[in-house]
Order: sequence, then structure tokens, then C-alpha cells
Amino acid sequence: MMDLAASLLSPEFFAAILRVSTPIILVAMGVLISERAGVVNIGAEGMMLSGAFCGVVFSAYTGSATVGLVAAIVAGMVGGLFMSFAVHVLRANLFLSGIALNLAASAGTILALFALTGEKGISGTLDSEVLPSVHIPWIQDLPVLGTILSGHHILTYVAFLSVPAVAIFMMRTPTGLRMRAVGENPEAAKATGLSVIRLQLQAFLLCGVFAGAGGAFLSMGYVSWFSQNMTAGRGFIALAAEVMGAGGAYGTLAASLLLGSVDVLAIALAGEGLPSELLQAAPYVVTVLALALYGLRQAKQKTIGTVH
Amino acid sequence: MRFNRRVFSTMVLAGLSGGLLAATLPSSAQAADAKRAIFLANGTLGDKSFFDSAARGMQDAKAKYGDDLEIRIVEMGVDKSKWRSFLQDASEEDYDLVFTITFEIGELLAEIAQEYPDQNYVLIDGFLPEGAGDLQNIYSVVYKANEASYLAGVMAAGMLAEGTNVKGTHLGMLGAFDIPVINDFFLGYVTGAQSVKPDVKVAVSFAGSFEDAARGKELSLAQYRTGTAIGFNVAGLTGLGQLDAAKETGQWAIGVNSDQELIFRESDPALADRVVTSVMKNIDVTVARTIDLLFEDAVPLGQFEALGLKEGGVGIVKDGVMASVVSDDVKAKIDAAETAIINGDIVVESAFGKDTAEIEAIRTAVRP
Repeated sequence: MMDLAASLLSPEFFAAILRVSTPIILVAMGVLISERAGVVNIGAEGMMLSGAFCGVVFSAYTGSATVGLVAAIVAGMVGGLFMSFAVHVLRANLFLSGIALNLAASAGTILALFALTGEKGISGTLDSEVLPSVHIPWIQDLPVLGTILSGHHILTYVAFLSVPAVAIFMMRTPTGLRMRAVGENPEAAKATGLSVIRLQLQAFLLCGVFAGAGGAFLSMGYVSWFSQNMTAGRGFIALAAEVMGAGGAYGTLAASLLLGSVDVLAIALAGEGLPSELLQAAPYVVTVLALALYGLRQAKQKTIGTVH
Repeated sequence: MRFNRRVFSTMVLAGLSGGLLAATLPSSAQAADAKRAIFLANGTLGDKSFFDSAARGMQDAKAKYGDDLEIRIVEMGVDKSKWRSFLQDASEEDYDLVFTITFEIGELLAEIAQEYPDQNYVLIDGFLPEGAGDLQNIYSVVYKANEASYLAGVMAAGMLAEGTNVKGTHLGMLGAFDIPVINDFFLGYVTGAQSVKPDVKVAVSFAGSFEDAARGKELSLAQYRTGTAIGFNVAGLTGLGQLDAAKETGQWAIGVNSDQELIFRESDPALADRVVTSVMKNIDVTVARTIDLLFEDAVPLGQFEALGLKEGGVGIVKDGVMASVVSDDVKAKIDAAETAIINGDIVVESAFGKDTAEIEAIRTAVRP
């Protein structure tokens, strides 16, 4: 047990939280933008998976990690285009379109992998690039903080920096304001002359940027290959984080970090003889608890509102 | 333009019919009394594992028997609802043997075998449901993964005991789920390790997924950082995360089912160098051996067999990294254990038939 306490307080433990939370934060920021624009994107998981795939493939064929990252982001945006086309042009159901995108990405990436490499499970034969880790000068030399804060994958820093960026974008810029207006009341927004479709398309595309980057994080640094369905539900965890964060960027960051912490705690406890099924369920239990608390608070606020 | 298109389509037609002719030629050239075998993959080829291995076994047999054997390999895909009609079609085409593999297809095969009592089937690495034991037209084969894992345990504990090129105090294992198939590997690994180092400790983590390589890596990093010197992954694609963690921390890993060193040998040699060995189920050997039995009219239909080291059903990879990393002394220990298991001097415990509490007790006893 002493070992456990030591490992829970070790800098590696906190570094792991930042690492595990990164893909959730990135995708949750994308989901946040789409949700506030009124088109909550169930297809984030599929965008992420396409991003993970294209990052590996394009970096392998060009030898450039940067090209891979750009390809991953573009792949996410193509997913966004698909969503917008399905929802706005074909008038398909938003949720079903998202599910369709997820299924198409799951099967499509395997098909493309097979066409390119003759394999269906893993891109192990492709010599793909990984994005660099960043060692922050000064901070990396600090005893404890150095291990926690320095030496992470570049997209981990991007993820954390994107939080204030998204907060400012949504709350302080005209486009963010318009997106929120469209999300709150599309009819009213339309009446003021806003193009609902254009704003929602932009939201889908931005969501694709974040989801694609989240996928690239998994396949171009966390591990150095693509394997089938490697996102393993992280897109859905990000949806949960956004709901837990009540649509605010900082709240979503907090929720993502909470989910990441629970996951890392479960990983640290994995060797301690607790039932593995219980530990694997932990992030989902926390999500349900947090949503229940959030619902209670909402209900209470409503009651207060009616009294006055 | 139009002319060109016509020429083009004529060429395509000619090519197609030529191809068709070529495809039908070999079968028309078969000897009249040729044996016919079909392998129905309940998934797709290219998995670098079970299905590819079975297909390789079919090809090996074909190379051996030439015109006396006619083989066919069919990918049924991952859609389970379509497997029944594939099996029915194959059952109506008068094959001498229909091969199927993995635990996913056992139940369906039992139903089909009842529908077609005159057709003979082989089920590899799967189980027939309770009460189907009296089906006289299925030969059912499973693997003693515990025996090969025992050898991996001997190797890992041997390396740990010598301590020359390992950093850490104990062994580790990354499993996908806490289920008998996975625990069978665990039990063999632990008992093998204990035979070399009786007080050896083994950390065990379960990922809850066969596809989450990132989680596999994170779990393995946690193990390696808390003193695991050599890890063993039994978790499909999740398990490959362990190899990446081994590369990052400079520790050792043991692969499973296929030679995992080979997956990365070309693209990531630094990672491949951390895979000491892999525990293999030799499905290709089983398929080829069963076809041998077919030619001898000796396929043990209606029987259930567990193939171990003795039958060549399982084994560990001894060339590659292991050849240069493991000392001659430890290699001798591995060979001795292998001989003892083959001779029946060592009987490796199996997780099948043990209940959860027994497995949990063993896991607790070796927890670091």
C-alpha cells in the first residue's frame, strides 16, 4: 500500500493525467463548438478515427510529421463536411448522421488500410512519423514540476492552450456569438439575417479540426501506428465531458481532467487486486454521477427561478 | 474516342474471360479422386494472426499434395448473420473437410453439423456448446496456450534471476479481460516463472478491450515504472501498446499469437528489439496436420483434442531477439522445460475448469 501511495503522489502520475486527458480535451473542445452552434456532433469519434488513420498514412508516405498532422486535421474537416452535407442538404437526422459517420469511419479506415498495406489490423509495416515532444526550458529542470509539465507531446500543450482560445472565440468574437445565437434559437438568428447553415457548417469544420488533431495525438505520438478502432470510445467520452462542463470551455477542461484522472487512478489501481471490471467502469460511473449532480443543480435553479 | 473505348472494353472482356479460363483450369486438371478441403474464415484475411495462419496451413498442404488436394479459402467477413449461409453453402458442396476457427463460431457450427450429419467439419481453437459432444462429424481442436506460456515464464524468470540485462524486480502481464482464455496464458506464465524463481512476483492488469493500444500502453507504463522488468501481453491490438511502453522505458516485452517482433521489424526496429519472444498458437501446423490425417483416413471425428507442445500446436519464437538477448543457461532451461512437458514429466495447470476465486487466489499470491 505504501508503494501505491507513493505512486499516486509521484510526478509520473500527474504527467499521465495530462497525457490521458489530452485527446479528450481536444475532441471535447470541438464538440463544444458544434454543440453551442446547435449541432451536437455524435460523429466526433469517427472524425477522430479518420484523423488517426490519415495522420499515420500521410506521414508515412511523405516522411513529414507536419504533413501527417495537416492530413489528420483535413480528414476531420472532411468528416465535418459530410455531417453538414447530411444534415443541411439531405436533411438527415443529426444523431443518425453522426452514427453513420462513426460506422463509416470504422469500416472505411480498415478498408483503406487493407488497400494500402494488405493488412487489416494494424499499420505496423508503415514507417510513419510521430509528432515531437516539447521540453520546456527552465521548467524541465525543476525537480517535480519538470516531470509533470515538461516533455509532453506537442499536442498536449496545444490542447491546453486551445481551451482559453475556444473560450475567447465562443464568448468574445462575433463569429462565436453568432454560432451561439444559432444554437440557442435558429429561427430568431435567421430572422436577424444570419446564415444558420453557414455557421453550423463552420462549427462542424472546427469540430473536425479538433477531432482530427485528437486522432493524430493517438496515432502519432501516444503510439506510433494506426490500429483498427483505436479511438476506443474516446469521442464519446469527450461528448460526456462537454455535457459535464455545461458547454463552457473551462468547465469542459475540468470535466476532461476529472475523467482523465479517474482513468489514470484506475490504471494505477489495476495491479492492486480490485476487480478489473469495476476499475474499467470507473470513468463511466463518474460521468453518470456528475451528470446526475448537474441535473439536480439545474432543477434547483429552476425552482428558485419560479419563486421569484 | 469511341473506337478507343470499344477497344478498351474488348480488351477488358478478353482479359476477364482469360482470367476465368485460368481460374477454372486448375480445378479441371484435378485428379478425379482428389480430396477437397475448404477453410471458412469468420473474419478477413490479413489479420497477421489466426486467419492468415490457417490459410498458410491450407497452402502448405496444397504444396505438399499438389493435384491430389483441392483447397478453397473463403472470407465470411465480420457480419455474423452471414456466416450461417456460408456454412450451409459449403456443406452442400461435398467437401471432405470444412475448416472453421475461433471461439465465435462454435455454437453455429454445432447447429450446422446437426443439419448436415454426412458432412465432416473441423473446429480449431473454439468450443462446442454443452451437449453437442455427441456430434460425430466434428473434430474439435483447442490449444494448450498454458504450455507455451510456461516456457515464456521460464525465460522471463530466468532473465530476471540473472539480472544482467534487466531493470526491475518482478514480471508483468497485460490481459484484455479477466476470462479463462486469457487466464490460461497467465497460469502457464506464472507456474513457468515459479519453476525457475519460486518467489517471483507477477503484476497483472486488464485493459477491458482488445483494440485500445493507448490504454494498453498506459497500463504497461504504470507496470514498467513500478518495477516490472519483463511484460507479457495477451490483449490483441491493446497488447501492442505494451511494446511501445517497453521501447519508451527500455524494458522487455513478450508477444502473443503471432511473432510480434516481425510486425515492427521493418518500420520500428527499436521497438522490435524489445520483443524478446512471442507465444504462438500454430494454427497452420494444425491445419496441415489435419489434412495429413484426411489422407490417412484418420481424422478423429467426434473427438475433442487439446494440442500442446508435443503436437506442435503451440510454441515460442526462439530466433530473433531471444537468440541474442537470452543467455545459453536460460535457453537450456527453456529446452529442458519443453522436453519435460513433451514427455509428460511436467503437467502445466490450466485455467479452464478453475473458478474465478481460484484464479484470483493465485493472482493475489504473486502480486508484487
